[in-house]
Amino acid sequence: MRKNLGCIKKLTAVCMAGMTVFAMAACAKEPEVFTSESDNGKIVNLFGPMEKSKPDKNNIARNAFDMTIAIAEEQLGLRVEYRTYTAENYKEKTYDDVTLDRARNALDDIYLLNPDTIQTLGSEGYLEDLSILKNVENLRDVVKVSNTVDGKLVAIPQEVVAYGLFINEELFEQYHLSPPETPEEFLECCRVFKENGIETPVGANRWWLENFVFAQVYADLYNGGNTEAEIAALNSGEKKYSDYMRSGFEFLQELIDKGYIDAEKASISEAIEAEGPDFLAQKTPIVMAYWSAANAETAYGAPDFSMKVIGFPSTRGQMPVLSMSGYGLNANAEHKQDALEVLDIVLSNEALELYAQTNKVISPSKNVEVECTPALQPLNDRIMENVYVLGSNAGMKVEQWGNTCLIVRKLLNGATVDECMAEFDRLQEESLK
Amino acid sequence: MKKKWKTGRIDKGISLLLSIILVFSVLGAVVFSVSRKITKEMSESAVQNLSESLDLIKGTLEAILQKEAEFQLLIAREIAAKEDPKEFIRSYNKNRTMVKLSLVMEGETEGISNTGDVFTEEGLDFSAGETVDELPISKSYLNYMGTWAYTMKCPVERDGQRIAWLYVEYIYDSFEKSLPVGFYNGRAMLYIMDAHSERFVLKPKGAGERDAGHLNLEDFYYANKIMEENIRAEVAECVKNSQNILFYHDIRSVNSLTYMWAVNGGSVYLVGYVPLEAIQQESRTVNQNIFIVVVVMLGAFFLCCMLYFFRQKEQNRIRREREAEREIHNRQLAEALQAAQLANSSKTMFLSNMSHDIRTPMNAVLGFTTLLAKDAENPEKVRAYTKKITASGQHLLSLINDILDVSKIESGKVVLSVEEFTLNDLVSSVDAIIRPMAQAKNQKFHVDVMGVHHEYLLGDETRINQILINLLSNAVKYTQEGGSIWFRIIGLKQRSSQYEHIRIEVEDNGYGMTPEYLETIFDAFTRAENSTTNKVQGTGLGMAITKNIVELMGGTIDVASEINKGSLFRVELEFRIPEGRKALEFWQKNGISRILIAGSDTALCENIRLMMEESGVSADTAAGAEEALLRLKESSERYSLVLFDWNIPDIGAAEAAKRLRNALPDTSPLLFLTAYDADGMEEALRFPNTGILMKPFFVSVLQEKLLEMQDGQSKARNTVIAEDKGLNGLRFLAAEDNEINAEILTEILSLEGAYCEIAENGQIAVERFSQAAEGEFDAILMDVQMPVMNGYEATRAIRALPRRDAAEIPIIAMTANAFAEDEKEALSAGMNVHLSKPIDVELLKKVVKDIVQRRESS
Repeated sequence: MRKNLGCIKKLTAVCMAGMTVFAMAACAKEPEVFTSESDNGKIVNLFGPMEKSKPDKNNIARNAFDMTIAIAEEQLGLRVEYRTYTAENYKEKTYDDVTLDRARNALDDIYLLNPDTIQTLGSEGYLEDLSILKNVENLRDVVKVSNTVDGKLVAIPQEVVAYGLFINEELFEQYHLSPPETPEEFLECCRVFKENGIETPVGANRWWLENFVFAQVYADLYNGGNTEAEIAALNSGEKKYSDYMRSGFEFLQELIDKGYIDAEKASISEAIEAEGPDFLAQKTPIVMAYWSAANAETAYGAPDFSMKVIGFPSTRGQMPVLSMSGYGLNANAEHKQDALEVLDIVLSNEALELYAQTNKVISPSKNVEVECTPALQPLNDRIMENVYVLGSNAGMKVEQWGNTCLIVRKLLNGATVDECMAEFDRLQEESLK
Repeated sequence: MKKKWKTGRIDKGISLLLSIILVFSVLGAVVFSVSRKITKEMSESAVQNLSESLDLIKGTLEAILQKEAEFQLLIAREIAAKEDPKEFIRSYNKNRTMVKLSLVMEGETEGISNTGDVFTEEGLDFSAGETVDELPISKSYLNYMGTWAYTMKCPVERDGQRIAWLYVEYIYDSFEKSLPVGFYNGRAMLYIMDAHSERFVLKPKGAGERDAGHLNLEDFYYANKIMEENIRAEVAECVKNSQNILFYHDIRSVNSLTYMWAVNGGSVYLVGYVPLEAIQQESRTVNQNIFIVVVVMLGAFFLCCMLYFFRQKEQNRIRREREAEREIHNRQLAEALQAAQLANSSKTMFLSNMSHDIRTPMNAVLGFTTLLAKDAENPEKVRAYTKKITASGQHLLSLINDILDVSKIESGKVVLSVEEFTLNDLVSSVDAIIRPMAQAKNQKFHVDVMGVHHEYLLGDETRINQILINLLSNAVKYTQEGGSIWFRIIGLKQRSSQYEHIRIEVEDNGYGMTPEYLETIFDAFTRAENSTTNKVQGTGLGMAITKNIVELMGGTIDVASEINKGSLFRVELEFRIPEGRKALEFWQKNGISRILIAGSDTALCENIRLMMEESGVSADTAAGAEEALLRLKESSERYSLVLFDWNIPDIGAAEAAKRLRNALPDTSPLLFLTAYDADGMEEALRFPNTGILMKPFFVSVLQEKLLEMQDGQSKARNTVIAEDKGLNGLRFLAAEDNEINAEILTEILSLEGAYCEIAENGQIAVERFSQAAEGEFDAILMDVQMPVMNGYEATRAIRALPRRDAAEIPIIAMTANAFAEDEKEALSAGMNVHLSKPIDVELLKKVVKDIVQRRESS
């Protein structure tokens, strides 16, 4: 009993001490409404696109990026400030337009650039050579080749973006259709869907239709074993881009003519915004999108049906189209040194692995391998077989991704295939000057 | 009464509990209302604080716009003063605020910009009519730098005449430097919205989550699920009227306060939201503090209660312990008192009894002494009187012995003297005492020993003897004439191989005892009946002494009895078995390895067989004479010895003896087992190498018997009774300081024909013996308590004398120190025998005779 009393006394003392600490903790300083500059005041400005928000949904692609940025912030003791722009409608300046303006006026330090802007800004000398980064050695060769302009590595991606066709397997099965391998098979599928009451079998927007073109026209170029020579011939004017492009544009024209694509709607639609809801509602059996869209809740990450991602139809079968959106550093950046350090960390194996694991994407680092989701398996299988075409190639003097996109828009707006080919010829001539 | 008190305590406890609950309820209600009030006031204060913060930002932005307008007017004046205004424009370098200067001369539609481009007002929308310091301000637009901008235009006037319009393009990014980095620790979202296009044109650094980059008001509504039409309509109305609005709405499941704050008369709005918990942090902190204070107070209160409770409990425990202790003390006192009273009563009773018991024989002694004096001339009466005086004196002596024994046992002074003894000796000595007593009352005395494995044991033989004599003498005493008494020693299953477990049973078919008496039989100073009315005399201490000795030996005693049917006493004792017996050597030396045991009592035969096998000799049993003869015929040489129970029914003992003897080789002994009262033994003893072994059977007795037979003395011993020479002619030296005792001793010995010389103390005795010729004295009778030199010292001195007979001469202790310990001390001092006073002449004669004979034989 005496022992118990002793224990109780000790317990009382501990409780009293706890209560004192508790009470003192209550007197902690209150937070301020306005906070002054945090950390050591160092800031790096980053300009990137922002998908339109959805209620109560996280953009996991953005989350993965945030995680890698957080690593850099923690290691460097600075803050990366995000700036963004999204066009309200097709009439407004595009993200790429704004990016070009901002980069040329050195408003930001780091830019997330689409392939065409990489080539444009790289050739204009607005982008810093990133080959000085120590993590460059981890990159795959295809990544380096795609982002080298005038001998300078002007951009580095966090993921290798593979574009493919997202198909509703259930609808295909319902109409006894197999995933199409060739353009003819694709047209046949569209015909069957159309005849069965699906008004527009292919959901499209104004950005990604050129993937049909790339898959068809460059299937042999990138997979025929004579790539360098053929590109050299194009750069020298020995061969014409229009000769390559024609079949692809004619194929698109056929899709438009047969009503498999709503050209009018596509020409003013932003990516996923227009065609996404119909695809998810199973009204449209086929859309096109990038790899991560299969994992992102904001895109096609959680469909109510069985979905598969396959390559675009080509004479060589289903063909993934690889494109590289990359981070570029403004050559006149206000915080260039800090920005370089941020990029070095963001592109480290650790960060790229975190990014790839989170987004389930193909990493640009040869040291990072990630298992893909089942839906992406067909597309992944082709890439693993080294069967793909590049949507952008800085080695080509005529920028492909942006220009083709613009010319496809013209086709959507009523231009003929010949007019479109003439535009390619013009661009090629300009490049030869 | 106790129940009532308990009920009262419960009632008191309940009312106390209710009071505490009431106090806490009131306290809780007060704290709750205070907390609510504080929360409300702090919420209002927080909203007020938010409004003020937004006003502060608004003021900052408006001040920036104001300064921009003022600066633009200054530039306009400066341009007006220039001869070539366009040159001024061309030479202007853009800065972070004013990114583009343009001038359109009055009456022209195109002008120039500092960027070198041609400038037109086309693309700038001043239709909303918004102004800053009366300067028109355009709607926001995305400028050539890719960022959101607005343009203000002001007239350039020279001499009161407007000569041109100055357009200055400002970017919203320039506001950032003047705005706070974090709003509510970065938890509040803040955008700057162009009111007309509802486009978000700037998200200041650190204002809200960075993954939320909203496009416009619609996107803001959509992303934050602000879908209620009434809210949206109200917001639209406020924006239209350039009013501020605050409304509560859940943003991503967090209750938030959304704000729309008009800047510059509503051309620009501050739009965002802040979680309520962020702005109500102060009230939460205050409430937390209140909560903490309440918790701390409650904690302190409960701790105090606990401490009080435990202290009370401790005090109650101490009180209870004290009460219990006191109760124990009281009980002990009461018991002690009761015991004392009982003891006193017992002692009183005892004294009363003793008074009677002592007075009775004393009265007899004195009475008969008186009669003796009167009838001295009448030899017959003298003999009769002296006989009665002797009897009374002996009774008086036994009374005194018992009283002294009890006194000693109770005072814990008894020490057991553990030595080796044999059951044979024990049984023999008891038999020698009890059998005559039983025979005197024509009682049958049966002795049985069964299942005992070890005959040699370690124990206090004297005390065991005392136990047996007490029990058996009581049995004789309390059994009517012609009754039977059974004395059994039964070997029980050994609990340990080192101890012999023995049960002693003393049974009689005598008077028996009442159940009431059985309960107190082992208490001191009790007797079956009050001795004043009972013919049976005794101290009433015998059974108490017996029980005490049994318990001292670690044993148990119990009794069963029935009136007029008899009693059975059972004593269970364990005796250590001595190591290294030489029995085996004996058998080997005498060539005895296997024997035959014949008899109709199979239990007896089996018992003997076990005992023999324990001592290392194999044994076979035969159920009768015929079977025994059959076995002998098969191989007579196989058996070195035959034991034969005399009470054999089949062919008669005598006939059996004859046939067995014939069947056996003459060298093999034949021994008959018999009880004391067996008839016809003489005939059997005529056969050679044949003898009698008295029951109960003991191995040691058998060995002694065999030795006797080997010496050829057995017959003489069995048939011839030794000549009793008495003490005639013997010479004694007696050390005795008491003259009367010395005289009595001298007289008694002289009556027996012996000579006795008295020495007054030990010293004189030693001197006398040392001066005496060798063989002058046959024995020394030594008193113990003597002046100058006591008996022990004198004995040691005599034994130490340098003469041949000093070590041999028998020294017999004759002392009033009658306890076993005294005997032990006497023997250890060198005396041969211990006899207690008063002197029993017969016993003295026997002892002297034994000693003398032993000395002669040796």
